[in-house]
This record gives sequence, C-alpha cells and structure tokens, in this order.
Amino acid sequence: MNELVDRTTRFWRATGGFVAWAGYLFLLMPTLIIIPVSLNGSQNLTFPPERLSLALFAQFFADPSWWGAALQSLKIAVASTLLTLALAVPAAYALVRGDFFGRRALNLFLMSPILVPVVVLGLGFYLNFNTFRIGGTDLALVLAHTILIAPFVVVSVSAGLRQIDPALESVAIIMGASRARVFFQVVVPQIKDSLVVGALLAFLISFDEVVASYFVAAPATTTLPVKMYSALRWEISPVIAAVSAMLTVLSLVFSIALIALRKSPRGH
Amino acid sequence: MNHALETRFVALLLAPLMVVMLLFFLLPAGSIIWTSLHGAKLDPSTYLDLLTSALFHKVLTTTLVIGIQATLVTLVVGYAIAMHLARLSPRHRAVMMIFVMLPFWTSILVKSFAFTIVLGDAGLVNRAIAFVFGNKEPIQMLFNRTGVLLGMLNFLLPFMVLPILSNLMAQDPALARAAQTMGAGPLRIFLRITLPLSLPGVLSGVLMCLSLAIGSYITPALLGGRTDMMLANLVDFYTRQTLDWPAASAIAVILLVITGTIVALLTRVRGGQAEVL
Repeated sequence: MNELVDRTTRFWRATGGFVAWAGYLFLLMPTLIIIPVSLNGSQNLTFPPERLSLALFAQFFADPSWWGAALQSLKIAVASTLLTLALAVPAAYALVRGDFFGRRALNLFLMSPILVPVVVLGLGFYLNFNTFRIGGTDLALVLAHTILIAPFVVVSVSAGLRQIDPALESVAIIMGASRARVFFQVVVPQIKDSLVVGALLAFLISFDEVVASYFVAAPATTTLPVKMYSALRWEISPVIAAVSAMLTVLSLVFSIALIALRKSPRGH
Repeated sequence: MNHALETRFVALLLAPLMVVMLLFFLLPAGSIIWTSLHGAKLDPSTYLDLLTSALFHKVLTTTLVIGIQATLVTLVVGYAIAMHLARLSPRHRAVMMIFVMLPFWTSILVKSFAFTIVLGDAGLVNRAIAFVFGNKEPIQMLFNRTGVLLGMLNFLLPFMVLPILSNLMAQDPALARAAQTMGAGPLRIFLRITLPLSLPGVLSGVLMCLSLAIGSYITPALLGGRTDMMLANLVDFYTRQTLDWPAASAIAVILLVITGTIVALLTRVRGGQAEVL
C-alpha cells in the first residue's frame, strides 16, 4: 500500500517537474533563438545559423525608414516617461499620504487603463484625437502612451512611499520646511529606487507599445513597433531579425536593472 | 500624530493626472460609446445589426473559445511552474524567476516573430521531428488555432504563475506537516490541502488571463489563421478597412463589457485590488 502511494506520488512529481521545465524552455525559447538568427546574415531566416554575419544589422542602419522609426520610438518613450513622472509621482504621493473620501475608487480609476483591452483604448484615442485635431502628431502618441504607462508609475511609486516612515516628513514640516522642500529633500531621496523602477517600466512599455500606437500614428510618426508589426503582417523582411535582436538586448538590460533594483529591501 | 496631507494639497497633487485622465482616457471611452450610437441620434441600430450578424457571432464565439482554451492551457503549465518555484530554495527561486519574468519584458512582436521561425513548416520543431522520425508532412503549428494558443500561452504564463506562486508561498507549512503526521501521503496533501487553499490564487490568475486573452490583438493577427479572427481584430477591421466607425465602436463597447465584467470579478477576488502584478 505504502509503496503504491509512493509510486503515484513520484509519478505526479515527475510529471509536474517535466511540465514546469517544458514551460521554462518554452518561455525562454523566443529570447534564446532571436540573437543567433539575427547573426545569420542570410535572407532566409533559419535557426541554427549557418555562418555569422552582421549583414542584417547593416541593412537596418542603411535604411532610414527603419532607424528613423527607432529614433521616433526613443523620442516618444523619453517624452512620455518624463510627462508621466511629472503627472503620476505627485498623484501617487497624494494617494498614499492623503486621507480622503473615495481614495480606493480613485486608485482603481487610475489603474483602469491597464485593465481595458488596448484595442479599445486605441480606437478611443483614434476617435478622440481626431476630434481634438491632434491625430497623427507626436503629441497624440505621447498622450496615448502616458495614459498607458501612468498606472505602472503610480503602482511602483506608491509601493516605495508605503515603505518609508511618514514621521520624517512630519518632523521636517514641524521644523519649518515647505511642502515642496520636504518632498524633494526628504521623500525623493528615500524612494529613489522606486522612481527608477517606475521610469524604466514606463520607458520600456512605451518603447514596445504597438496596438495603441498603430491606431494613433501617421506614416510620418510611425514608431519602431508599428513599422515592425506592418512588416510582420505584409512582408517578412529579414531586417526584422536584427530589430528583434536589438529589442531583446534592450529588454534583457532592463530586466537585469529591474531585478537589481528590486533586490534592495525598499523595492517591492 | 496625524501624517495625512491636507485636502487642498491632495487636490493640487492629483489635479494634473486627473485632468489628463479625464481628457484622454474617459473622454475617448465616451467617444466610443457616442460613436457606437451614431452620435446625437442615439440610434442603437449598430448593436441590433451586430446581434443578427453571422460574422459577429462567429468572431464572438471564436474569441470566447480561444480565451477559455488559452486560459486552461496556461493554468496547467502555470500551476506546474508555480509548484516547482515554490519548492525551490529562495536563491534558486530568484534565478528561475528570471526565466518567467524575462519573456514578460520581451516585446510581443519579437516573440511572435520567433514563433514564426521555430514553428514554421521548415522551422526548428518540424526539422527536429523529421530528424528523429524521418521525413513526414510537416506539422502545421502556425496561422491556425495551435499558433494562437502557443503565442498566448507564452504571453499569459507570467500572469498565471505570479498569483499562484504568491498564494503557495503564503500557505502555512505547518498544515502540510500536520496532515503528514496524521498519515496523509504527498498526493493526498496536495489534493486536500495545497490545491484547495490555492484556489484564490488560481481564480485570480484565471480571471486575469481570461481578460487579457479575450482582448488580444497581436497574437491572433500574427499567429492565427484567417478563420480565427478575434473581437479586437474585428474592431481594427471596421476601423481601417471598411471605415465603419459605429460598428468598430459598438464591438469595442461589447469587448469592454465582457472584459470589464471579468475584471470586476477579479477585484472581488483580490479584495478591492486590481493591480496587475
């Protein structure tokens, strides 16, 4: 009897372990194959690569429509991240330190852009921005991205604020510091890590955003993901391999930075 | 001592974000509803047309079926991963967590592209199968239901693993030990203690994945077949191809109602919290 139980248990544990490892491999697979494929250099994309070459990267930098889209993404991501920090950090401070009616409802409202399907947001931006006559401009992209990334900044900054002692701020107020001075000299130094985490998240999400941008961008303001999406849909150009490899390295660098920051006890 | 901010400071600090959210989030949502009702005409005909449209019925059914299928596959694999992670030492778990989080930060376009290379007729998987079993007809894994489900599994797994894992880690190990002392085997402990106690985490992951799967746009567009169009793609089709904005808006409203209902359930499961991670 006992032996039977053991055998079934061992069977299920082995099955679970196998499924888990298959899952890890499946999760890692896209990241693992993309860089070798991009170094293949040949026009038909294969894995494993037959020889090494940087030809696809050269092709990327020779085509202004590709690197121009990359620069456009960079520009939009930087602008949206800065705008979002300016809007969301004060809001997070008010949400954590304030004590007012409807705070939970407001918090939920500020989170809601994450919970709405991006295609619905995209259509909303499209209709709304046309009414405001800002459709197809850089401003339209920055505003759309700001709405999408603000919740992430609010969450990470709120988490940082909850970890620090509000008594320090009260002491500074009692000692005669202004609210602004308290914020910049007492609060900001303590939540620096959360601010960096929020900014990194915001930048990466904006840089990778495709669906909302697809609805909002005009040919002149096309971002890299939008160009890549069209290229994947209509003609699989081998340059996509080089773009993918660069995006993968970018995500890799960001994940490492985020993991390093979250290790500190103040992160969440 | 009261550390709370004065109300006027609160209002001042919240105002900028609130103004932007009202103008560029609530107002767009309003534009969709407004457009779906033909503006000031308040004409519900678009909704009535959709109710009788065979295309809409087919797409709605496909969307719900794919959403449920993807969530179930994700649940099985996600639970196995969460169990595996929960048993590891904190050090090892930190390393393995990278495997789960790295794809989370990878662009969905990059992942879709990688899938087209790996799963294609001449892709890695088919060549491996041909190598082991000899040359046969390649298995079709792209531009059909299999492709969509694999793409979604890859995208959804972190959203399933994280809530289940945090639930498993929060369980009191004394319960399992008590059951063991009373003579229960590991399988019985799992079925009677670990699994039932993890149901809130499971429900949380399932609802999150269901909501994300039903709203997906990129995965069905790039990895799905022609017959597997989902609601999000139909919205795009009416917006760009036929320029029928009322129809696009009405479908968006319906999509929003479906995912909104799931999210409302999710916030109840999570006790008023709707944070994604």
